Amino acid sequence: MYIAQVVVRYRLQIQAIKVSLPIVRQIDHTGDIGLVVTAHTLQQLFEHAARAMFEVIGELGNVQTQQRVELSVEADDLESLFVRWLSELNFRHITDELMFCQFHILSIADGQLHAEIQGEPIDANRHTIYTEVKAITYHHLRVEKVSEGWQAQFIFDM
Amino acid sequence: MGNDLKLKKISDYLWEIPKSGKMQVPARIYATRHMLPKILSDNAPQQAANVAHLPGIVNYSMAMPDIHWGYGFPIGGVAAFDLDRGVISPGGVGYDINCGVRLMASKLTRDQIAPRMQNLVAHLFDSVPTGVGASGKLHVKNKDLQRVVAGGAKWAVSNGYGSESDLEYIEENGRIDGFEPDFVSEKAYKRGQKQLGTLGSGNHFLEVGYVAEIYDEQAASALGLFPDQVTVIIHCGSRGFGYQVCDDFLALMDAAIKKYGIELPDRQLACAPVQSNEAQRYLGAMRCAINYAFANRQIIAHNTKLAFEAALRQGSEKIGLRTVYEVAHNIAKIEMHEVNGKKTKLCVHRKGATRAFAPGHTEVPQAYRHIGQPVLIPGDMGRYSYVLVGTETAMQETFGSTCHGAGRAMSRNKAKKVAHGRDVRQELEEQGIYVRGASRRTIDEEIPEAYKDVSEVVDTCANAGISRKVAQLRPLGCIKG
Repeated sequence: MYIAQVVVRYRLQIQAIKVSLPIVRQIDHTGDIGLVVTAHTLQQLFEHAARAMFEVIGELGNVQTQQRVELSVEADDLESLFVRWLSELNFRHITDELMFCQFHILSIADGQLHAEIQGEPIDANRHTIYTEVKAITYHHLRVEKVSEGWQAQFIFDM
Repeated sequence: MGNDLKLKKISDYLWEIPKSGKMQVPARIYATRHMLPKILSDNAPQQAANVAHLPGIVNYSMAMPDIHWGYGFPIGGVAAFDLDRGVISPGGVGYDINCGVRLMASKLTRDQIAPRMQNLVAHLFDSVPTGVGASGKLHVKNKDLQRVVAGGAKWAVSNGYGSESDLEYIEENGRIDGFEPDFVSEKAYKRGQKQLGTLGSGNHFLEVGYVAEIYDEQAASALGLFPDQVTVIIHCGSRGFGYQVCDDFLALMDAAIKKYGIELPDRQLACAPVQSNEAQRYLGAMRCAINYAFANRQIIAHNTKLAFEAALRQGSEKIGLRTVYEVAHNIAKIEMHEVNGKKTKLCVHRKGATRAFAPGHTEVPQAYRHIGQPVLIPGDMGRYSYVLVGTETAMQETFGSTCHGAGRAMSRNKAKKVAHGRDVRQELEEQGIYVRGASRRTIDEEIPEAYKDVSEVVDTCANAGISRKVAQLRPLGCIKG
């Protein structure tokens, strides 16, 4: 199988980590981009995956937390919930023309997720947007418990 | 995974993965022996075999020579399903519903515009929004968007974008019937609202080029192509509207596979029986996205004409930019094909594959009917693209289908690494190709060597007999999303 697992690309700013984890790895897919995210808790996993997706979309260094948005998603299973969460963020980013940089899961249980996210309106003069994520696919999707905590593998259609 | 598959040689250009396990039919890949190691190095052949598991699939699960790893279906995949026993799968169409290519040709020759390319590319970059979440100048309200998805390119023409004569030279005449605007989610309408007339990101582009070589004089003449003639290729699709329709229905189909007891080797192949409520809803919504893409390319084509006039300071009559043809390469359609000597209605999925109907087919425009349906195969931004026509062999073997492009040879990540430390834009400029992209990273990810040599793909299709070469186009300038 051709999934060349590539070096650690992103180092996220995480304060509460006791052990250094390879938090986000990029995986090569011929046409697109995939990520493997590892975190201690399920909550962190969802937060780190969101941040990692926005790192793919654009440069986050300049993005400020001017705007706060609360959102909820639900799904029948954990993998679908994961896809819906990232899809909802991507939808808000595109339709409301916002860049997000901070993600806080308020609760996640029984197929329901509530979160608060922060960012600001896209300003072409200040923000660099690299690409557009068309969708978060179900292809080779995995969200599972691993020895270090939780891990998700997911591929974007670019 | 691909390496474990046993391939049986059918001809120098066709290989078969024999039926095994729960495969309903064998899978077939069009390729030369030389292309096979690369093809087998990723998951795409396994995906072609996976598609062969779907209920009601007819003859073969096929893959064109530009096959590469997709989601569920391989890119370059063609699969037709019986309307009574078969299924429809959003993954067999892809996220970018009706992604396609329009070829335009002008009265100008290469030497007339070569010195003005930089200015022309700048005008095009301003007139045709590209890039991420690019917002066009055209904002439509939800109510109007319902008219767009009902009217396709016809809506665009009746709203001042281009002329009636363009419509004859678009697959389905720029508007497919059977659309159901009520089956489209609010989210899809919201994503589509500000994106009409935009290219989008990824591999989408608008390229100005010229006719570099003609292989078939008669066909080129019927298409109005001549050596050194300036051409335009527009490659884009249904933007966020289509992506959202696909996303919405993948979730719905995911539930449908449980309901209908369909066993799948990959979740991304989610599907529903063609006659089911879920499938009919998807068809209705997908056709809205098909029409959105037709309208999108019609608007871009019109804005391209305006950019030419402004940059060259010449009137439209003198420039003479007209539509040669427009094809879709991510689509599912109900078509009539011969199966075991009997005319049969089928649901044909083409995911990264182009319709290539034979001479004489009633769906080929009258002016081209004697040569077959034009097929437009874009390559990378540094080399060449091709104009082909459909053949009778394609009708017999591939449900009238052929390849759609070069196919990537490198991941985006690898392309960025290869481009690191280089000025790709400058390199191309030294070859006389002016490129503007939404960002440097966009251009780096799309470097020519990130793609396979499209000539090998096209030659394989020509040698296999599923299309005929008409002309080669070479780039002079390009805008990338």
